[in-house]
Amino acid sequence: MRVKTLMFSLLMASLGHSVQAKETPTPAGLDYCTVCHGSQLMGNVNIGAPRLTDLSSWYVERQLQNFKLGKRGSHPADKTGGEMMVMVGKLSDEQISEIANWVTQTVSTKPKPMIEGDIHLGKEQYQSCASCHGENGEGNKALGAPKLNGLNDWYLVTQLNHFRQGYRGTDESDIYGQQMKAASNVVLSEEDAANLATYIYQLK
Amino acid sequence: MLNITRRQFLTYVGAAGGSSALLKTSLALGLTPESAYEGPVNIKPAAKGEKPTALILGAGIAGLATALELEQAGYECTILEASFRPGGRNLTVRHGDKIDEMGRPQICNFDKQDNLFFNCGPARIPGHHRRILHYCRTLNVPLQIKANSSKMAYFHDEKSLGGKPKRIIEYHTDVRGLMSELLWKAADNNQYDQFLSEEDVAKLMSFSKTYGDLTENGKYIGSERAGSTTDRMLDFPVPNVPIELKAMLDSSFWYGGLLGAEQFDWCEPLMEPVGGMDAVVKGFLRKLKTKPVLNAQVKKIFNTDNGVEVTYEQGGSFKTIKADYCFNNIPAYFMAGIENNFDGTYQKALNSIKRGHLFKIAYQMKERFWERDGIYGGISYTTGPIGQIWYPSHDINAQKGILLGAYTWDGKATAMFEALSHEDRLKVGAANAEKIHPGYSKYIENGISIPWGRMNHQMGCGMRLDKDVWDDYFPLLQKPEGRHFMIGDQISHHSGWQEGALASSEQALQQLNKLVELNANKKGASYAR
Repeated sequence: MRVKTLMFSLLMASLGHSVQAKETPTPAGLDYCTVCHGSQLMGNVNIGAPRLTDLSSWYVERQLQNFKLGKRGSHPADKTGGEMMVMVGKLSDEQISEIANWVTQTVSTKPKPMIEGDIHLGKEQYQSCASCHGENGEGNKALGAPKLNGLNDWYLVTQLNHFRQGYRGTDESDIYGQQMKAASNVVLSEEDAANLATYIYQLK
Repeated sequence: MLNITRRQFLTYVGAAGGSSALLKTSLALGLTPESAYEGPVNIKPAAKGEKPTALILGAGIAGLATALELEQAGYECTILEASFRPGGRNLTVRHGDKIDEMGRPQICNFDKQDNLFFNCGPARIPGHHRRILHYCRTLNVPLQIKANSSKMAYFHDEKSLGGKPKRIIEYHTDVRGLMSELLWKAADNNQYDQFLSEEDVAKLMSFSKTYGDLTENGKYIGSERAGSTTDRMLDFPVPNVPIELKAMLDSSFWYGGLLGAEQFDWCEPLMEPVGGMDAVVKGFLRKLKTKPVLNAQVKKIFNTDNGVEVTYEQGGSFKTIKADYCFNNIPAYFMAGIENNFDGTYQKALNSIKRGHLFKIAYQMKERFWERDGIYGGISYTTGPIGQIWYPSHDINAQKGILLGAYTWDGKATAMFEALSHEDRLKVGAANAEKIHPGYSKYIENGISIPWGRMNHQMGCGMRLDKDVWDDYFPLLQKPEGRHFMIGDQISHHSGWQEGALASSEQALQQLNKLVELNANKKGASYAR
C-alpha cells in the first residue's frame, strides 16, 4: 500500500461511519461494569448482562442496593443475578450512587430485537402492566415502577420468568420486587413472557 | 496380487527396499502424515518503503504470536490488552500477584520462592503440539519434563470400595486382569471359533494370560505387578487382594484414572517451561518490538473501505487507531458488547461461542507429604467435586510445594465453587481432598482459586460450541470479516490449549496472505467477502 493511498484511505475511513457525538468515560475503578454490560453499558446477551442506558438513576440505585443486601440475586436459580450480587457486594453507598448517575449519562443505541412473540397478545396483557409502568413503558417513579422501553427484549423475558418462578421478588424486604411478583401472576408461561416482551420492546 | 493385508504388504516392502522405501509407500497409502510442521506461516513481506499496519486486540498467546510474525514480515503492530497484564489465560501466579476475579480479587500469598508458583491456565505441553514447541525453541524458553501421570497416585470414587482411595497401578493391573480373564473364558468356551482358527484361539488365550497376569487355568487372583503387601526387597511378594469384577463395573474409574494418560493430548511425556508457563509470554515480549498497551479496553471495531478503525478506552479517555488489518483475540462472546459494523451473520457466529467454566484451586503445602507416599508428579482422580489433585514434578524434595487442589470440568461442581467465597472454596477443596490424603488440611498454608468463568476480561475457558455451530458458523469465523480476523483458541478445535491458539493465528495469517494477494490484484479495491 502506498503512503498516499494510506493517507487517503484514513481520511475516507473517518467519514465511513457516523462517530457518536458523545461518549461518556467509564469512572475510575468501574471498568468491570463494561466488561459484561459492554461499551456505554449497551448490554451483552452472551453474558446475560442487560443494557442499562435509559434506566433511571433511582431504579439503578435501588437494584444495586438490592443486590448488595442480597434481596436480589441470592436465589440459586438466578445465575446472572448471583454473578451480579458478587460484583456489588463490596461497593459503598457513594459508589452505588456514582454508578447510578453514570448509567444515565451513557449513550448507546436501542438494542436489536431477539425475541419473536405475538405482539397482539402481548399488547392485551400489557394493559394491566400499564397502570404502573405507563402506557409507553416510560416508568413511574412515584410508584417505583422502572422504565421498560429501553431494555433488551431477552432481558424482559428472563426477568418476567424470574418473577413468575419466584427467583426474584420473594425477599420480604424487597417491597417493589414483591409487588412485581404479585403483578406477574398474569404471566403464566414462557410464551406469555415472550409475547409481553415483544410488545414492550417496541414501545417508545 | 495375492490376497494379503496392507500391513503384510508393508512388511514385504520394508524387507525388500529398506525403511525409506517403506516410508514412501506408506505415504502413498496414506498411513503416515504427509508433511511435517515446517514453522509459522510465511507472511508476504512488506514491499520496500512500505509499512503496513496491524492492530492486535488481546495479548494472549494467539495475539502475541500473530504480532511477532507480522512484525517480522515488516508490519507495524499495535497490541491492545484490556487487562493490567499480558498473557491472557497463560497465567502463572507467584507471591504478591493479583488474581483479577470479578468481584473477588485475590492476592497470592505463596512464599516468595522461585519454586512456589502455579500455572492457572495452560500447564502442560505434549510432544506433538509442534507450534508451541516451535516458539519455546525459538524464544529460548527452557522446558522440562512434567510428569502428568503417576501410577502411584490415587483413584477415588465416593460410591465405590467404601469410598477408599486406590492406587492407580492397582486399578490398572486389576482391570487388565479382570478383562483378560473374561477374554480367556470366552476363548475357552469356543466363543471365537467362528472367526479364529484353533491355533489363533490358543494364541489369544496365551496373550490374555500374559496381558492380565492370569493363572495357568485363566484366573486372575491379583498380581505382583501392582506391588506387594510385603517388603519386596526382603520377602517374596504377596499381591494385594484384587477388586471384584462387579466392583470395577460399578465404579466410575474407567474414565479419569484409567484413561487420563491415554488421551493423545496427555500422552507421556509432557513438558512444562522451567519456572512457570508464563516463560512463553515473557519469551514473546522479549522478541516483540512493540509492547502491549495495557488497561486498554476495546469499545468499537469498525471495518472501513481500506482498513479497520478501533476505539479503546484507557484511564477514562478514548483513543481511536486506524490500521490496515485487525486481528481480534477478544473472547467472541464479548463482541456483542463492543460496537461494530460487522455483518449480521458474522455477529451471530460470534454469539454462538459460549463461555466455558473451568475451575482450579492451588494450595501452598508446608511439606511435600505426597512424596513420602511415593508420589512424584502425576494426578489423582476423584469423583468428588475437586475432580483432580496434581502433584508438582519439579523441585522434588524441596521443603514446600504448590499442589493443584481442584480442577473441575463438571458444570455442577464448577458452579458450586464459583458461587462460594475464596475462603470457602479452599475449605471445600480441603475437606474433599482429606478423603484421599487423610491429614491433608494440616499441611495447607494458603491457597488461591481460579474460576475462569469469573476472571476479568476472560470470563470463560474452554469455549463451547453447539454441534450445529461447527457446521454453520465456525468456517465463517475462520475467514476475515472485511479486514478483521478472529483469532484465539476459540477459533480452533482445541479450545483451552495454547496449540489451538497458535493454530488459529496460523490459519488467520494464511487468510491474510490470500487477502493481501486479492487486494493487490484488485489494485486496492475493497475486499468483498
